[in-house]
Amino acid sequence: MSEVIVITSGKGGVGKTTTTANVGTGLAQLDKKVVLIDTDIGLRNLDVVMGLENRIVYNLVDVVEGNCRIKQALIKDKKYPNLALLPSAQTRDKTSVTPEQMKKLTDELREEFDYILLDCPAGIEQGFKNAIAGADRALVVTTPEVSAIRDADRIIGLLEANEIKQTQLIVNRLRMDMVKRGDMMTVDDVCEILAVNLIGVVPDDEQIVISTNQGEPLVGTQALAGRAFANICKRIMGEEIPFLDLDKKETVFTKLASLFK
Amino acid sequence: MSLPVIIKSNKYGINLILDNTMPFRELIGHIKDKFLESEKFFKNARMAISFEGRELTPEEEYQIIDTISQNTSIHIVCVIDNDEIREQLVKKKMDEYDSMAAGNTGKIYKGTLRSGHVLESETSLIVIGDVNPGAKVTSMGNIVILGALKGTAYAGMAGNEECFVAALDMNPMQIKIGDVIGRSEDKGFLASLKERKKSNTEPQIATVSGNQILIEPITKNTFNNI
Repeated sequence: MSEVIVITSGKGGVGKTTTTANVGTGLAQLDKKVVLIDTDIGLRNLDVVMGLENRIVYNLVDVVEGNCRIKQALIKDKKYPNLALLPSAQTRDKTSVTPEQMKKLTDELREEFDYILLDCPAGIEQGFKNAIAGADRALVVTTPEVSAIRDADRIIGLLEANEIKQTQLIVNRLRMDMVKRGDMMTVDDVCEILAVNLIGVVPDDEQIVISTNQGEPLVGTQALAGRAFANICKRIMGEEIPFLDLDKKETVFTKLASLFK
Repeated sequence: MSLPVIIKSNKYGINLILDNTMPFRELIGHIKDKFLESEKFFKNARMAISFEGRELTPEEEYQIIDTISQNTSIHIVCVIDNDEIREQLVKKKMDEYDSMAAGNTGKIYKGTLRSGHVLESETSLIVIGDVNPGAKVTSMGNIVILGALKGTAYAGMAGNEECFVAALDMNPMQIKIGDVIGRSEDKGFLASLKERKKSNTEPQIATVSGNQILIEPITKNTFNNI
């Protein structure tokens, strides 16, 4: 049974694309057949984060307009043959696709894939409406900042209004040092404000910037953020995984100590 | 009246102020002259027309419109009633009725109101859930929130300052009762969050007191005064 999941946030720059790339890759690592769709028409960058930019021939708009078959537009991942990307068009805009067309597209992809992940553009206009049209489930990404949380709240309301059955929250870029000092909201604060189920907490990690620039998702590595994404993937599949202790200092000494435990 | 016919423009089109002493035949002549004078100005305009100053029978109205359309290129789209007194009377009655009905009946809404969500009610309103920042509830009557009020609440929308807003956790951005409006302090988000965590929340009620919004804990006596 396949699932269509939209990754959305309202606000821009909170990590939707990074989350899509990492969750998609993480699910592929768990031997699922996954396709990522970049619905940010006109401002595509999921392909860049995946390191697949130079392989694009056809795109989402080509598929919808019937200029090519779906198979022709799907780009196979470098590492995982069970992971594919449907890139967005760079020379068009959000009005080139309708919600009905998106729904039809995701329904067709259901036959082939276990998970269809939609990277949603920022905002609540046409691009958002397109992205959520075919979705069964939503992952709302937010950072522990008021502006991102306000937008996430609005988005959750819109998802409810559009009858997306399951909405779960990812708190991204958490900085434990700031939380401890009382300069940042805690995860509990965020969850209390938004009143939705939490599916993952991703710490602020400079490894993410490095991996994004390299076009290699971080999931699957031992980096803290990479492990956080791997756990999110397992939770998406229904496993119960305890949340990471982000507070633990990862020093050589603690690593050694844990070996002897 | 100095002039038998005055043309005034309003947001829909034009308003004709007519002399009510002059015989109708004579008046029609004046109307014709007046419109011929300003024909260039109104050229090909599409507008609604209303009459003032004189009681007209439907037939007379028809004759005036006929005169205008025969002599100018103005398209009269429709005739608007311009009975201000009647309108005001109706509005007053409606408002009286609304505020009476609003106090006695109510509506229940279950669920959290999120940013951008607006809930309007012509009666009193009970929300079972939170009203988040950026969300708004308005009611002709009272508002009771069985949850946290973190957004905006307008009670007594028809101007009734006797109304109240009550919430289990009162932390509004704005409260308006009748025409009195109050807003929260300009405190940083994180600071107010911490402050609220420290203190125990208790049910509170907002009422109008001396042209200001007064928020106080709900006690046994509170409802004796309402």
